[in-house]
This record gives sequence, C-alpha cells and structure tokens, in this order.
Amino acid sequence: MATERYSRLYDKIDASLKDRSKSDALLRCMKRGRDTRSRALETLPGGAAFRNDVRKVKERCIENLPRLKKQFIENVEKRGVKVFEAKTAADVIQYCLDLAKERGAKALAKSKSLTTEEIELNQPLIDAGIDVVETDLGELIIQLVNEKPFHLVFPSVHKMAPEVAKIFSKATGKAVQGDIPSIMKVVRQYLRPIFLNAQIGMTGANIGVAETGAICIETNEGNARLVSSIGSCHICVMGMEKIVETIEDAMLMILAHPVSASGQLPTTYVTWMHGRSPLGQGAGQPRRESHIIILDNGRTEMRADPVYRESLYCIRCGACMNVCPTSGIVGGHTFGHIYPGPMGICWTAGVHGLETAADFAPLCISCGLCKEICPAIIDMPHIIAEIKHRDAKKHGQPLPNKVMMGADRAARLGCATAPLANFSLNTPTIRKVMEKTIGLSADRKIPTFASPSFMQRFKKHRSNVVDPQRKVVFFVDVYANYNDPGLGMAAVEQLESLGCEVIVPEQDASGYPFIAYGDMDRAQKAAAGNVAKLTPYAKQGYEIVSIEPTATYCLTVSYPRLLEHDDRARVIADKTHELLEYLNKIEAETGKTPISRSLQGRRFGFHCPCHQRSLGAGNGAMKWLRRRGAEVELIETGTCCGMGGTFGLKAGLLGHKLSMAVGDALFELFKNAEIDAIVTESSVCKIQLSEGTGIAVFHPLQLL
Amino acid sequence: MTAEIKYNFAECFEKLSGIAHPVQSEQAAIDEIVSVCTSLDAKCVALAGLPESMVTEIEDRCAGMKVLKEPYPAETLPGAIDESDVGVTGIAFAIAQSGTLVEISTDDAVRLVSGLPRCYIGVLHAVDIVNRFEEGSARIRDIVKQHDDNLVISFISGPSRTGDIELKLTLGVHGPGEAHAVIIGNQSK
Repeated sequence: MATERYSRLYDKIDASLKDRSKSDALLRCMKRGRDTRSRALETLPGGAAFRNDVRKVKERCIENLPRLKKQFIENVEKRGVKVFEAKTAADVIQYCLDLAKERGAKALAKSKSLTTEEIELNQPLIDAGIDVVETDLGELIIQLVNEKPFHLVFPSVHKMAPEVAKIFSKATGKAVQGDIPSIMKVVRQYLRPIFLNAQIGMTGANIGVAETGAICIETNEGNARLVSSIGSCHICVMGMEKIVETIEDAMLMILAHPVSASGQLPTTYVTWMHGRSPLGQGAGQPRRESHIIILDNGRTEMRADPVYRESLYCIRCGACMNVCPTSGIVGGHTFGHIYPGPMGICWTAGVHGLETAADFAPLCISCGLCKEICPAIIDMPHIIAEIKHRDAKKHGQPLPNKVMMGADRAARLGCATAPLANFSLNTPTIRKVMEKTIGLSADRKIPTFASPSFMQRFKKHRSNVVDPQRKVVFFVDVYANYNDPGLGMAAVEQLESLGCEVIVPEQDASGYPFIAYGDMDRAQKAAAGNVAKLTPYAKQGYEIVSIEPTATYCLTVSYPRLLEHDDRARVIADKTHELLEYLNKIEAETGKTPISRSLQGRRFGFHCPCHQRSLGAGNGAMKWLRRRGAEVELIETGTCCGMGGTFGLKAGLLGHKLSMAVGDALFELFKNAEIDAIVTESSVCKIQLSEGTGIAVFHPLQLL
Repeated sequence: MTAEIKYNFAECFEKLSGIAHPVQSEQAAIDEIVSVCTSLDAKCVALAGLPESMVTEIEDRCAGMKVLKEPYPAETLPGAIDESDVGVTGIAFAIAQSGTLVEISTDDAVRLVSGLPRCYIGVLHAVDIVNRFEEGSARIRDIVKQHDDNLVISFISGPSRTGDIELKLTLGVHGPGEAHAVIIGNQSK
C-alpha cells in the first residue's frame, strides 16, 4: 500500500520536474499573489492585523456553529427560501437531480463553487442529461478539458493563451486567435446564451450571515450576478462552516478574501442575496425560487476533532498555495486531490478521508510558511503533521523518514566515531550504498562530525565572567553540538563577552523531524522532555538562547502547540530568544558597541530560513552584521530554499531532486547578486545554498 | 490616537479601472450619462433605480436611442436588457476606501441592468459616501431592516474583470468592461 502510494506520487513528481512549463506559470502566479498581497497590506490600516480579527471571528463562529446555523436557516426560510441540510455529497446530488427533474430543467449555469467541486456534482448532473456549464472563465477552461483546478483561485493558471484559444476553437467549432482580447470576445459570445437561457443558476456562497439569512457571493467577473438572477431556479451549495454571526463578520470576510488571495480590495462584485427576487414585473413571470443546500460532508466530525477543527476556519483564499514551496513546483494536480495546496491536505483529510490526504501529504516539507500567510492563522503545519502521524500509525513510515527522525542519534554516533563516520560520508561508494539502503542522498555534501561534541567541550569550559548581569541557558540542538562545536562555543563567548552567565544544562534535540514526518508521539515526548528540563532554569530567571532557527521555532511555536495544556511550555516560549537578536538587545541596553567593525567593506546576501520568519525574520542577524560594518541584503523569493529541514537530505524525487527544483529560483537570485558570501543561521539551509549556488555560506558568528 | 485616513471615493474607484464623474447637480449628472451613451454610440440604454425626474430627462435627451426603464415586463426578460449597450442604476451608498458602489434591488431586473451591458453607470450622491469599509455594516443593517422579504445588495467595485488567462487583467469578460460612477455633490472632507 505504502509502496504503491509512493510510486504514484513519484511518477507525478517526476512528470512535473520533466515539464517545468506548468510550474513556471504557477510560480509566476504565486509570486504575483504574494507581491500584490504585500502591497495591499501596506495600504490597509493595521496591515496584517486583520488576521487576528479573522481568527477571532472564525473561532467564535465555529464554536457557536450549531446555534448560528439554526439562526441562519430560520432567517433564510422567513424570506421564502428553501433550505436543505445535506449530510453527504450523495444527498446534494440527489436533491439537485430531483429539482432539475421536477422542473424539466436541461440548462444549468454555474458560478465558481469549490464546494460543488468537493462533491463532484457536475458529472452526475451531466449524466442525467443536464447541460452544466461553468461560467467562471478559469473553471470553464478546465471543465472543457476535463481537469481539476491547478490552483485554488486561478484554476487554469497552467494554461497559456494559445492553448486556451485551441480549447475554445474546439468548443465553438470556429478558429480562435491566440491573443487574450480575441479569446475574451469569444468567451463573452459563447457564454452569453448560456447565461440567458439557464433554467437553473447554481452558485456557491462565500459567506452565510446568521443575523439576516443572507448569502454573500463574491466574483470578479460578475458571472455569479447573472447566474443568480436569470434562471428561475437558484441553487446555492455552501459548506456549513461559511456561516458567520453578523454583518460585521461578513464585511471582515469580504475584506479578507481578496486581500489574501490576490491583494485586491474588494472583489469586484459582492452579491448579498436575501430571499429570491422577481425578474421583472407583471404577467409572464415564471415561478422564482431559491434553494440553499448546507453541506456537512464530514464537517461535523472535523469540528469535533481537536486537530481538524481549525481547518473549518479556512476562508478558501488560496494564500497558502502562494507560499508553499513544493506545491509551486508540482502544482495542484499532484499536490492535491480536489482541494489543492497545504490547506488541501487538511480539507481532504476532513472531507475525502485520511488515506486520500496522506497520498500527497508527504509533499509538505513542514516549512511552516502557510501558517504565516493564512488570514485565519490556521496551524496547517501542525494539522498536516497530525495527518501524517495518523496515517503512519496505520501504514508505517518509509525507511528514509525513520532515518531522518533518528538524525539526532545518528549524529551522536557520528560524533563518537568521527574519523570512521567522516570517512564513510566522504567515500562515494559507501554513500551510494547508504542511498540505496537508508535513502540518504549520495549527492548531498553532509557536514562532517566533530569530536569532542559541544557538550563535552563546554563541560571543560571555564567562564571568566565576574558579576554576571544576565543568566542564560544555551540551547544547542544537533548541528552545533555534533558537527560544529566551535560555532556553539563562539555563541557562548559572545554571550559571556556581554556579561552573561551561560549554562548548558541537560537537554535533548528539539525534535522537529518528528513533526515534519509525523511522529507526534515522539514530538510530544521531545517537547515534554525539554520543557521539563528547562523549566527549573526558567523559574530561576534564566533566559533561553538558541542558535538554530528551527530549534528556536520549536521552543517558541511548536512546543506550546504540542503541549497545549502545559503552561510551562508557554513560559519556556516566552523566555526563548534567537541568539543574535538577544545579543543586539543586550548591546542596546548596556550601550556596549561591537569591539571592531571587522566586517567593514564586506557585502553579504542574507537568507532567512522559513522557521525564522515567524521569529524575527532574520532582522536580528542582519542588524548584528550591519553593526559590525557589513553591508547586508536580504535575498529571497518569498518562499523556501527547498531544503525543508532534513527533507532535502533524502534521496530522489521526494527529497534531493524536488528540493533542488524548489531552490532554483533562489539560487539564481544569489548567483546574480554582487555579494562576497551568503549568510544564514540555519545549518541545513547552509547545505542547500552551498550546493545550489557554489557560493560560500556562513553563519554570522563564523565571520568574525 | 492617529487621525483617521480620509479616503477619496473617486480616486479609489479609478484605481479599480472605474471612471469617476464628479458633478454638482442632477442636471450635470444627466449630461455625463448622455455624454457617455453618445460617445459609445449606444443604440439602447437601460435605466433602473433612478428618480423619475432623471429618467424623464434622460429619455428626452437620448431621443435617438431606445430607452428601457422600470417596470420591466417579465416576459421581455432577460433578452430586453441584454440588448442594451449601457445600463444605468441608482446607488444607495458608496464606500470610499474600497471604491465600492452599493446597489440595492428587490427586482433582479435591476441587477441585469448593472450586469449585462458592456457599459455600466452608477449614479450616487456624494453625501451617501461612507469613508471606511467597516462603516458599510451599519448602512447594510439599516437597509436589511427595511426589507422583510426579498432584497439583493450588490457591491460593484469597477468593471467586470478576470486574470484567468496568464494572470493578465482583462476587463468585461461577462459584464461591463466599462464602469462609471457619476457622483453628485462633493464628498465631505
């Protein structure tokens, strides 16, 4: 089962990597989405603060969903609209088939609805002889070629104008020129009779307003206005999670949707439908009716599940797809079932089942960027980790994942046997064997092991700090401990030079690989272990300083989530700092300036690792370097370098190859920048950037 | 406390590829409407939600054109409105921050007037412009309270647009490719 599943996934990834034309289009789309969102946030009072408001509204509305659904239904029915609560996809399909049959309807015009995509509503209607036409241009294009959305917001983004022209030439039977204005003229002519003659108009709803019984439908093209006003029978299919409490809540969603999706404010057309209106006056008016189908299809179970529940906060903006590094390369047909992208994994698990979600969940490399851009701050990395975990409990983990989750133990062993381990790592034939047996990429240059380890060296370290002003626990994690103890010692020296008492108490590796590959039991154990070990020091007033961004992320972001009911985890999070940000703070507070401006005249390109974005976004390191005279430029694509922790250390398509494909764009930026070297604080990003660019990569402390 | 940003509706509407026509009187508004119709060589113009005085005047001034007006006979719809080159509707209020015209209707013929023709003109009074997006909520609540039965509130923020082919912005794929806002009076400072 697992092998078959991976083999299918490998085939799809392989095809995506061989033909990059689709991913090139998708990457342009993603970049545009990120750029326009950033620009929109600059003009929005409060900037990204609206995310906190969206989160609060969704938390409140999902908490009160049963009451709000009841209120919504009552208010909708007061206005003469028929409501049908559908438990399953089959219920919706049957309801629509019955409606069409009773009315003798043969022509159905649709506006974009992901919920109807979710239940694959079109085909059964078509099979019943109904002419179902998607009227959103992107949806129409993919309907004409029988595909699923490549992107949540731009479903046909992988189709270039000449291909679209061919699609419409076939659909209309007339040659269509390959330029966009010509295509648009044809589309307008093609769809107009479909709008005018539709007997049934089918829409989704972006929002249901409990207070008034309104549904809100947002479109840029204006097709939903025509679809919902012309056909005598209007059917709206909406997921139950779309219901919000008040008009104010709805207005917030109307703002959040387009800003997050494409940096627009607002969507061009927003239709608030309250009941069904007549079309014209006097005799000759057909019976006008409206039906709202509220779909469950697993949502009730999602709401009851402490992990999946958060997925119901999703407002379907697609912003997570605009940052997801692997989704950008393989596209929504590989990174998705029907719902694509990171949120697609979460939704698929809820509505199409764990097994289906787990088919493409391994594409998530746990970079965490999706959460950083999500307007409802949904912890997708955690939900996806849980999905991987639940699936692994049934089907087990592939060996390479197990190996990567044991990286800490392997590093300890490598350190203890450094000469032998390093010989093995540097011997191509042995590496080939390792690739074949344990899945460690033979093409990766793995950092050598050092002996003694940092912990061993620190035991012999004697501090000369007299009258320390601050007390610091140094959290070292794997790399600085076993591969580069000198880096750890440099950090200690920096802290001591600013009057800190530094201790390194017993501690475990941060355990992030357990989250990345979905062993939540061990992730929780690692979190609990470190929290228990660090808490006594936190209570004594020690601050915790970490040198590795992913370790800092674990302590500040992952552990509080993993140990939700343990207040100590929150305390540890609040006490944890990135090393260079902490050094800057002490320098500012004490007025101590750097001893030398030894980096004067040096020019560096800075890489911010994904996990650092939710911390200080690398500003601490860049400021620290600039204070020492360096010229530093943040160089980024807006997404990941591709390494994804240990993901890029694995061999093959679900590892090194995909990882390098993700990194390509960033490598080019660095290669084209006029810099002396690359600087990053992440030990694994360092491996990736070094291989991808051929440029020397340093940790800031290594530059002094 | 920081001073509230004062948004200019006309500027925000034009950022969305709309065309704003600030005028001082209903008479001047009619001039603008007629001017747009004439410049497009319109053969047919559809009106909805406008004061009777404006409808009569537009009919007089657009003598060479077919002028459709309320009530729209049900048996002629949607075809009749589909024939029109320009649709003109009255606007209940507007939101400056987002450049949004807010149209209300209890007859879907009104939505077709603003949704089917190639060119759309919304007519509003500057006193009906609210500044921030959130301020729209109270206005919507008031309107909904006045309508126990059917009601459609439509936000219209510029012309019909799509970026579905190569992400290139294209106007008028289904509805109006041109959207005008005729604003009567001065927006408060």
